[in-house]
Amino acid sequence: MDAPRVASGMDYHSLNAMLNLYGANGEIQFEKDREAAREYFLQHVNQNTVFFHSLKERLDYLVEKEYYEPEVLAQYDFAFIQKLNDLAYSKKFRFETFLGAFKYYTSYTLKTFDGKRYLERFEDRVVMTALGLAQGDEQLAIDLVEEIIGGRFQPATPTFLNTGKAQRGELVSCFLLRIEDNMESISRGINSSLQLSKRGGGVALLLSNIRESGAPIKQIENQSSGIIPVMKLLEDSFSYANQLGARQGAGAVYLSAHHPDIMRFLDTKRENADEKIRIKTLSLGVVVPDITFELAKNNEDMYLFSPYDVEKVYGKPFGDVPITENYREMVDNPRIKKTKINAREFFQTIAEIQFESGYPYIVFEDTVNKANPIKGRINMSNLCSEILQVNTPTTYNEDLSYDAIGKDISCNLGSLNIALTMDGPDFGKTVETAIRGLTSVSNQSHISSVRSIEDGNDKSHAIGLGQMNLHGYLARERIFYGSEEGIDFTNIYFYTVLFHALRASNRISIERGETFEGFEDSKYASGEFFDKYTDAPWVPATAKVTQLFADAGVHIPTQEDWRELAASVTQHGIYNQNLQAVPPTGSISYINNSTASIHPIASKIEIRKEGKLGRVYYPAAFMTNDNLEYYQDAYEIGYEKVIDTYAAATQHVDQGLSLTLFFKDTATTRDINRAQIYAWKKGIKTIYYIRLRQMALEGTELDMCVSCTL
Amino acid sequence: MTLTDPVNSAKNDPAHTGGKLKLVSHVNAINWNKIQDDKDLEVWNRLVNNFWLPEKVPLSNDIQSWNTLTAEEQTLTMRVFTGLTLLDTIQGTVGAVSLIPDSITPHEEAVYTNIAFMESVHAKSYSSIFSTLCSTKDIDDAFRWSVENENLQKKAAIVMEYYRGDSALKRKVASTLLESFLFYSGFYLPMYWSSRAKLTNTADLIRLIIRDEAVHGYYIGYKFQKGLEQVSQAERDDLKDYTFSLLYELYDNEVQYTQDLYDGVGLTEDVKKFLHYNANKALMNLGYEPMFPKTVTDVNPAILSALSPNADENHDFFSGSGSSYVIGKAVVTEDEDWDF
Repeated sequence: MDAPRVASGMDYHSLNAMLNLYGANGEIQFEKDREAAREYFLQHVNQNTVFFHSLKERLDYLVEKEYYEPEVLAQYDFAFIQKLNDLAYSKKFRFETFLGAFKYYTSYTLKTFDGKRYLERFEDRVVMTALGLAQGDEQLAIDLVEEIIGGRFQPATPTFLNTGKAQRGELVSCFLLRIEDNMESISRGINSSLQLSKRGGGVALLLSNIRESGAPIKQIENQSSGIIPVMKLLEDSFSYANQLGARQGAGAVYLSAHHPDIMRFLDTKRENADEKIRIKTLSLGVVVPDITFELAKNNEDMYLFSPYDVEKVYGKPFGDVPITENYREMVDNPRIKKTKINAREFFQTIAEIQFESGYPYIVFEDTVNKANPIKGRINMSNLCSEILQVNTPTTYNEDLSYDAIGKDISCNLGSLNIALTMDGPDFGKTVETAIRGLTSVSNQSHISSVRSIEDGNDKSHAIGLGQMNLHGYLARERIFYGSEEGIDFTNIYFYTVLFHALRASNRISIERGETFEGFEDSKYASGEFFDKYTDAPWVPATAKVTQLFADAGVHIPTQEDWRELAASVTQHGIYNQNLQAVPPTGSISYINNSTASIHPIASKIEIRKEGKLGRVYYPAAFMTNDNLEYYQDAYEIGYEKVIDTYAAATQHVDQGLSLTLFFKDTATTRDINRAQIYAWKKGIKTIYYIRLRQMALEGTELDMCVSCTL
Repeated sequence: MTLTDPVNSAKNDPAHTGGKLKLVSHVNAINWNKIQDDKDLEVWNRLVNNFWLPEKVPLSNDIQSWNTLTAEEQTLTMRVFTGLTLLDTIQGTVGAVSLIPDSITPHEEAVYTNIAFMESVHAKSYSSIFSTLCSTKDIDDAFRWSVENENLQKKAAIVMEYYRGDSALKRKVASTLLESFLFYSGFYLPMYWSSRAKLTNTADLIRLIIRDEAVHGYYIGYKFQKGLEQVSQAERDDLKDYTFSLLYELYDNEVQYTQDLYDGVGLTEDVKKFLHYNANKALMNLGYEPMFPKTVTDVNPAILSALSPNADENHDFFSGSGSSYVIGKAVVTEDEDWDF
């Protein structure tokens, strides 16, 4: 599908690239991008879209040729489907940017099996997603079409990509697996990774429990080769399995900071690492407890503990032992073999590796567990560091069959467009529709190839409602990202979302007479979770934010509202063990015309590079030549304001938020360390990537280029 | 090999085997605490920060994409890369090294050694691309083509001749034209592929090379301008004439080379605009006015935008390693940082 040239010599890629080149008067050429989007449809999409005379003909064809799942359509009368279709098309949806359209048609829409022609328009995908998620509930299907086509709610990639297609992967985004310290569990972990990669979604694995290199096997010393070979096996597994070519299999591994192999783990990402140990495509995460910060503060050594010995002494896997509580005791216990490194050097090494590769992610283990309303322990996160849920180990028989199936984690995601949700007719209904759509994905998911995932999902119905377009919204309202008003808005917005999310989950619980398993042991059941909302009022601190909510007609929940909700929750429970998680929203924010997640923009004109897209240019949402000053990029804004904004949101989110930190190449490892300390101090739960930007040496830059000037 | 391979034949050249090896005559211990020209330190730091090895780029992710190219497109791509390999080999083994004895400051010498090393890294990178994407037979064929292509050989021969000449400033001119102009007929193609979502990891690697070459061309050009300050007006005039006539000679040849490569896929006219644009850029690095008017430098915006040596792509970590990471500056934290 090559881009044909038009008379002017400009194909849509060239028009799109002109976004990154200033016009004659030094202005950003937004109109060129709109032209690119139009040309893309004229030159490419329209010519390559299969035409049908009627909806009936189209659906019959797609079912007959095994493009659509007949079961999804069979839940509804045709008359209703026609009505839903008309509703979707009546909204006159148009892509705002070239990248939005390009991304949608490249990655989401249904294509003929030879990949050459398109079988869906955006409206068709929305209708099919709504039909699939509503499971026969006509009102929910209508609500979902309204929310999705209205741009307020956007399901995550696996859901939006796959729903209703006959040849498809799973609808779930994320999987998290434990690995225990035995060969059965390690090989099961690799097998599960292959299975889950094949079906879509990223997989993260916990390595903390695996004994270190040099640890004894069957009491014979110096036998184990540690975690690096396991990482190599996993990396190759992910390269092999991809989701029907839709995207590369992707995986992450998490390791405790106090695991003896921690420095080797980090060195796999060194620029000059040996081929045998270099890890290229596997993502790394480090789980850091509070004690590590204390030790660094005192400039002490930090001890690393043999997982093999710790498991023998404590009777549970290393990853399940809270390090901070037991640190001194473990140091003093002669039965635990230990080594030491300097704590500050450890943090510095992390920063050095982050400079070279962007990795590792960081999970602040104690912060996460203190904020966790669910009984149990959180010891890892996922590929995007926003999923934070409890898990339990699985044990195996000698013939590799299951002895006791533990609980592993899956999570399906979807995000609200903050600006359009504020603009929408009914804030509470938007949140509730999203929660119901996400819950449906959980109900429809049965990943029987990985029983611990299937069981975990059946018991928890965990979902993750995310948010995007914060920066776009703030800029449109002429508020600077990270300003007092910006942080105030973030706080009240997330506070309001939480209220409606809990209320929706409570309503589902009442309708179905069912809660997630373990509700009675949660802080929701005890009511403790609600104390911070019933004890004191949460109101905007600034006049501007008060005004924004008043103008939007969005009611800010009062203490009385919370008391009512708390009473209903303690009585009837909630259906979902987890409700919110704020993902980085790469792809879906492009098709939704949003700024990503609740980050500041990476650049006024973002240069996006992906395997399937190539190099394309994306303008920040709502940006015009008249409001550029509100579009400071993340590198200019600096880490404090980003962290302050995230901290305001974090207090109302039960799981995590993908928080990328952005540095100019003039930063040092010390700056990165200071940002980590600041984040930890502010109650941030996880840190995702470190991104670096290096500007061209003065004298070598390209003149006229928007992304080249600050 | 029937035709001359200028790089390998250099060793057999009587002027080299019989003649005395040209080396710096006197060496003082280099003192980095006493910098005569701040540009040396600035460029050194930039080059060191930008150190990279091809192994970091997951080129194998491009295999699927490679298989979607037509046979003709694959051949073109391999030929382009063998051409670039040849230029980088020249620059690594002869070009940058030949500049060392002409250095004005000891730090300049150090910068050239870094440049020479990175050029060898670049030359090796193309081999990484080949070995990942193509079969040995195809690679051998492409290398044979590069030996047999007259225009490519002529390009190498012209540059080699000037490197062996006796004028320090002329060597710098030749070097700058190579770094800032001659590479780009080759760089066009990976940028073109990347704008069409093909071989994007290869493009990441090429962007790392462009990032380096941009600094190299700029630095050598800068040193040329410094050198010009030391000579008479007559010599300056002479050098300017020389530069423009050399550029014409190279340009003529480059146009033919471009036709050899790109005629088959119909991109020649587009690549020529790109050549004009970069010829002007090379002249700018040398401190001269542009040779080509704006009307013939209107490069395809998709290529031009991709050319920026800024490391600012917001890449998707799951499909590539990006081209923006650098070796960081390690600074220990102090007690005050841990005040919580």
